[in-house]
Amino acid sequence: MIIDKMEQSLRPVETPMVTYPAKSITMANGQKLVIRQIRRDEVPHILEAVKPLMTVEKDFYDIVASRIYSELLGYYRYRVKDEYCLIGTIDGVIVGIVNGRLVDDKVGMSYHTMTLRQGLRIGAQLFAAKMEYHLDILKQEEVWIVAESPNGFKRWMIEYELESRPEIWHELGGVPTYVLTKALWEKHKGEKLAGRRPVNEILLKTAENPILPETYAQIPGYKRCAK
Amino acid sequence: MDEKMYAYKCTVCGELHHPKHCVCKKCGSRTFEQVLLEGEVTLLTYTKVYNLPEGYMKPYLYFGIVKFENGLTVSGQLEVKNPTIGMKLISKVGIIKEGTNSDHYGFIFEEMK
Amino acid sequence: MREVGIVGVGHTKFGKMSGGTFTDMICMAATEALDDAGVKTLSGQHGIDQVFVATMGAGILNKQSGIASALVDTLNLRPAMAETIENGPASGASAIKLGYMAIASGICDAVLVVGGEMMRVVSGWEGTDFVATMLHPEAEYDYGITLPTLAGMFTRLCMEKYGITEKDLAIVSVKNHENALHNPVAHLNTVPDLYSITEDEDAGIINPYVASPLRLYSVCPVSDGAAAVLLCAMDKAEKFAKRPVKIAGIGQATDTHAVAEREVPTDLLAVRLAAQKAYEMAGLKPEDMDVAELHDAFQILEIVESEEVGFFKRGEGHIAARNGDTKIGGKIPINTSGGLKAKGHPLGATGVSQVVEIVRQLRGEAAGRQVEGAKAGLAVNFGGFGNNVVATILTKEEE
Repeated sequence: MIIDKMEQSLRPVETPMVTYPAKSITMANGQKLVIRQIRRDEVPHILEAVKPLMTVEKDFYDIVASRIYSELLGYYRYRVKDEYCLIGTIDGVIVGIVNGRLVDDKVGMSYHTMTLRQGLRIGAQLFAAKMEYHLDILKQEEVWIVAESPNGFKRWMIEYELESRPEIWHELGGVPTYVLTKALWEKHKGEKLAGRRPVNEILLKTAENPILPETYAQIPGYKRCAK
Repeated sequence: MDEKMYAYKCTVCGELHHPKHCVCKKCGSRTFEQVLLEGEVTLLTYTKVYNLPEGYMKPYLYFGIVKFENGLTVSGQLEVKNPTIGMKLISKVGIIKEGTNSDHYGFIFEEMK
Repeated sequence: MREVGIVGVGHTKFGKMSGGTFTDMICMAATEALDDAGVKTLSGQHGIDQVFVATMGAGILNKQSGIASALVDTLNLRPAMAETIENGPASGASAIKLGYMAIASGICDAVLVVGGEMMRVVSGWEGTDFVATMLHPEAEYDYGITLPTLAGMFTRLCMEKYGITEKDLAIVSVKNHENALHNPVAHLNTVPDLYSITEDEDAGIINPYVASPLRLYSVCPVSDGAAAVLLCAMDKAEKFAKRPVKIAGIGQATDTHAVAEREVPTDLLAVRLAAQKAYEMAGLKPEDMDVAELHDAFQILEIVESEEVGFFKRGEGHIAARNGDTKIGGKIPINTSGGLKAKGHPLGATGVSQVVEIVRQLRGEAAGRQVEGAKAGLAVNFGGFGNNVVATILTKEEE
């Protein structure tokens, strides 16, 4: 696209952000989950993994998938400031997506966590990775979080003992904001944060060209058509 | 807090019960008197539970089974940093569940000061 | 007393029911059992005298009381007698026991027993809370104590007394998951990797504590599902399509309600007494069993039950598991179906599901997980946290 003065003025100024260092986690069934950050140009491909879930009502997939879709599009089209997206892959197949953005150097805004492959608690690992990115890698002081589903609420608000801050308005709207402070992160990360670095070369290569899932357990009968 | 916990003593043979029973475990009679149940206990076993029921907005809670000096073995919540089997604790009565109309009181065992 | 056998079995896939009502679900299992037995579901021709439905939650979670009466009508089995049976997670085996008694007494010739539970329609919280209602109200439930809490405390005591380790529990879990790979009705079809859930650096996070020292992979899932058996008088069995598997022995025993009041806290006394009564009635001993389904809602229970039913000495069940004695091909294969851990645990269905697996083993219909030449099997169904246990022994009759 042509980046003229008008387009330039519509793009937010980007804060330089250290890339999330990829890591791998051994899942319960012995498979390796690789978590890495995606580049902006990978967004259109990732959107194809999100799309099928946008109409699945069960477990709030429709709202989470639809919002992730629009958030990633906002990142891709340079309309959201300082957004990032991490994906998880197992044997190269995308199994989960998390995203968020920086409000400023001290505060992070967590957007969404979506698990594509259920049953291995991948969401918990991706959420922890997201918090690691804000607090340990980007060295922020706190992350603002809301939950859209009961599962999310239980896993994050209760398990991390998030601080309730109803006076702050989260960008996603909805219920009052909860906050993961550095202190709470230090208290809980021992039981929540997993992963080994660096990821061995061969394993990292599997995550280079993420494969779109052929089927989704959440969508019985769905099969991706080859383009 | 003025809430108390009680054992139930058979008026015929003196056998102590907790919780309440309809019929005495030892002699089969049906009348009991309330006897204060409190004091030093020994921790027999414990667990740290992460998946708490609805209404418990904490990431985890410790529970345990203790033995009072009078021999009664009882379950309760624990307020203990690092529980170990055999440690001595002291009983107190506190809110074990918040209710809509009234709170539930029960045993919370804590470390001796 | 008349002899009683099983001539038909049915079993839905355990897991998450996608749509349909509770009645739809139990109908699936019931019709499979009736078809298996060659029963015609027509008035005046079906020959079913009594229907028992085993469920803990149909009335509460699924808002369907009087479910047995509903089933009789929708299956076209009127005017058969019908009751719903509730004994917590032991509802299934209790319903089979009552079916046995109905036939043995001479009142009935054929009894259909269906067990079912549909728990995944409610949130995990509500499900856990509902299961906890069988605990002692003042001594346990009011404290926020749940079944995993009791299991955690029991596990710690057993570890302390007998040297059972967390890895032993994981070994049992992996065995059950491997067995479930060959069971088409099992809820879970992935196998945890032993190293990944016990020794890997991230094992503590991937396999976190649920109620210490019990971890996620030592606790069974929440499942929907139904299972059914058709019982008949042995002397009337020839009119059904398949040879009957005999119910040779049944035993049941109760224990204290509040777990803190148990006499020996590391014992499962009700399991021991129920099994003893079943052996006595069948005229058999533990060493006569070729296969067993032991209630393993928490993997510690499989270990301790294997001792209390007499397969191993107290304190040696975990050593037997370590040595592979309880695998298919081992001394006494336990939970060839995958157990509650991997097959799943719809509370009301479990007791019936266990018996269905034993029937399939004795009939030689357990492809991929068959215990060769199995002639006698034991099922133990554990109600509450061990305060009401039913044991059932089935035998294959000589041709």
